[in-house]
Amino acid sequence: MTYAATIYGGLVNGPLVLDRLIFAVQDEASITASDDPIERRAIDAVKNGDAGSYDVLVSKYMKRVVSIAWGIVRNATDAEDLAQEAFVKAFQTIGRFRSGEPFGPWIYRIVTNLSLDALKHRTRFRHEEISEAEPAARRDRADLPAMANELSRRIDDAIESLPGMQRIVARLSLVEQFEHGEIARMMGLTEGTVRSHLSIARGKLMEKLADLYD
Amino acid sequence: MTDEQFFERLRDDARPLRYEADDVALTRLAARVRERVAAEPTVAQLLARWFRPVAVSLATLALVATLSVQWYERNQQQPVTLDAAMSTDAVEISVDGNTYTLGQ
Repeated sequence: MTYAATIYGGLVNGPLVLDRLIFAVQDEASITASDDPIERRAIDAVKNGDAGSYDVLVSKYMKRVVSIAWGIVRNATDAEDLAQEAFVKAFQTIGRFRSGEPFGPWIYRIVTNLSLDALKHRTRFRHEEISEAEPAARRDRADLPAMANELSRRIDDAIESLPGMQRIVARLSLVEQFEHGEIARMMGLTEGTVRSHLSIARGKLMEKLADLYD
Repeated sequence: MTDEQFFERLRDDARPLRYEADDVALTRLAARVRERVAAEPTVAQLLARWFRPVAVSLATLALVATLSVQWYERNQQQPVTLDAAMSTDAVEISVDGNTYTLGQ
């Protein structure tokens, strides 16, 4: 069993995560309705028991979901496992998903929660790896083709040097290009908290990268 | 350069840092999800899994109760035997204008 699968088995089934997922479904009301008729039809079909239609949603969102997970856990294998678990979890709870809403924010929220749990688990139980985080993180950079570029490397270094939530919020905003409200919903935070994290992160990034944009 | 300009340029430059899983990985992941989802019971199936034994138990109980009631009622309505009738009811016999009562 892979690391992420172990985490999933141990933590994701907990009531806290279930609550978050239920909250996530309820919270999606503020997001504009899906304007993709194919997606809407696929969701309705899955709700009516046609598991085959889920492929449409998996194909559409898998790439982005893996990217979000990778940005948080910085490990390709774990990110793929987490993305897989996120889609299975979404399928299991699709009955609670409101028809007409876009599927994206919902699956992004699920994968973000799973990834944050994986990260917490890793911090709690794998101190020995955290102490060696630098070389591990550097190895994972091989996953990014953009790393050949000095500018990208500097930006990635700067984002990765940020502490905990600032790093994740900055990554979701800068790399994944989500808006504040979307990040807030994905992470179960208020928009104000996201703005605050981002503001602090922005200051630190400006300090570190000022020479790039003179 | 203002803060906003700095952040906008940073956003543009950071976009390529998005992790792009290759097509092979995406296909493999989609296949794994498909496999797990196909094995996953739907809500209706889960409910059916719970309700089916409950429904069978209730039906059995109802059947046993019906049979018991019927059996009890049939026993209650059985015809009175001669012994029973004699022990409860008086029998009157008339001979030569005289009436004799038996069983009291």
